[in-house]
Amino acid sequence: MGQQGDFLQVLRERGYAVDDLRATIHGNGLSGHSAKADLTIGTTVFAMKYREGVLVAGDRRATAGNVVMYDRTDKVLELDRFSVLAIAGVPATAFEMARILEHSFKYYRRSQLQDLSFDGKLRALSTLLKNNAPAALAGTGTVAPIFAGYDQLEGCGKIFFYDILGAEFEAVEYAVSGSGSPTIRGILFYMNRWGSGPVAGLDEEEALTFVLRLMTSAAEFDSATGGVDAHAQLYPIVKRISAEGVRTIPAERLKTLFSEKVLNHV
Amino acid sequence: MYEEPYRWIEAVANRRQYLDDQFIQGNPLVGVSFAQGILLLTFNRGTEKIYEIYDRIALGGMGHPADLEKLRYTLLDMAHVEGFQRSPADVTASRLMKNGLAPVIKQAFEEIFKAPYIAKILLAEVGITQDRDRLFTINYDGMFEEQREFGLLAASSSIRGQLAEEWKTHGSLSSLQSALEVSLRLWGLASLLQSSTLSTDKEDKDEEGTTPSSITSVSTIPDVEAIASRIRDTLSKETLECVMLDRESGKMETYRALSQAELQPLIPSVFQPAT
Repeated sequence: MGQQGDFLQVLRERGYAVDDLRATIHGNGLSGHSAKADLTIGTTVFAMKYREGVLVAGDRRATAGNVVMYDRTDKVLELDRFSVLAIAGVPATAFEMARILEHSFKYYRRSQLQDLSFDGKLRALSTLLKNNAPAALAGTGTVAPIFAGYDQLEGCGKIFFYDILGAEFEAVEYAVSGSGSPTIRGILFYMNRWGSGPVAGLDEEEALTFVLRLMTSAAEFDSATGGVDAHAQLYPIVKRISAEGVRTIPAERLKTLFSEKVLNHV
Repeated sequence: MYEEPYRWIEAVANRRQYLDDQFIQGNPLVGVSFAQGILLLTFNRGTEKIYEIYDRIALGGMGHPADLEKLRYTLLDMAHVEGFQRSPADVTASRLMKNGLAPVIKQAFEEIFKAPYIAKILLAEVGITQDRDRLFTINYDGMFEEQREFGLLAASSSIRGQLAEEWKTHGSLSSLQSALEVSLRLWGLASLLQSSTLSTDKEDKDEEGTTPSSITSVSTIPDVEAIASRIRDTLSKETLECVMLDRESGKMETYRALSQAELQPLIPSVFQPAT
């Protein structure tokens, strides 16, 4: 029984393979090479602190090699009212992880009659990544997510990022992941060091403008990042985390900001 | 000694007697469907009796807390595994009741060498539209009922019958305030009927002439003032527990426990205890 509120345990008892999300493949059978080379983490997701909380953003593109599979993917997934998982990596495994986490948190809250603590949520994600390590190494289940949420105990927003083996790092100001992330990382570093002020001091409008500019920069240099496609009305998914919980920034608002402050020079 | 059918039937009858006695002092629980969702209402003396099961489903219980807890876990496990492996839309109160709860409770009741569950449960599921609301109630023997607008847990089926009649006198409920008022009234009525059963039982058991004659019999419907007075009395002694399954929450999750501050202004003044 799940008397400790452990949903993974309940799934295990029902014979669901939670500890081995993707079968490991040691080569593609043709060239003898590892499958890893073909499965890149093609995406851009990032989270950054700003004056009123945390913003988490993700582009919409899903790729396989150099083929664009889909342009409307949602990579910033709400796990519960106070936490978000931004995924980079093999979508099948990443979505599965998000689904498991979402249900684990719900199950814990409903069975134990209290919310799982912020640290408890982090542990849950680490456990999934740890169990997924063989698939991550084989390349068939590589996931490097960003976890962002509001810690109600300490009363502040927090950002954590992970490598593909599940090592956990807390970000002081921002975290980036995916193939487009080196560009963004460089810009964020530059802005924090020599910009007009630290990124964490931006108000919501400035921060959202900055997010759109970062995404556009990432897409400029990374073919696997969708960026902003104003023509097709495709904007990144941006979520705001604060004491009130997680809220999605409406595309309308991004559209206005994009046409006023990103598309044209100001 | 139970090999003979007669003995088995007798044992089951004893069990009914025993269980009926257990519930007589329990708090009734009312569930009503209204425009904005479903309201579940009861009073408690410390232990909560209403719980969230899934996105659109809540449980209300009457009986032994340990038994309720065990059955609650059965439902939680079933609902979450189903919601995870299939989809949240596949988790329905109907399936939870028919496949999950009813067989378990019935089996425990009929296995006369083991202890039965001392539990009556109401499962409420809020629909996207009001005509899809469902309220299921199950008795300690595994018998369940499905209703669209109203569900009640009370000590005996005769009280449930009387309350169902009473419910018919109300029109459709358009607001939380009216849902709360009607639920409180129904709860008060159920509670009075239950305590009069208790007194009648005592009367039956006592020798003739030793009980006061002022006790009302079960068949009498208490008047409006008696109900109001019972509610006032209980409000001042116990905690009012109200949960709403909010059809209009705009989120996947609909369950919301109503706080005392939120409830206070909605309680009609005739029910407010004198301060």
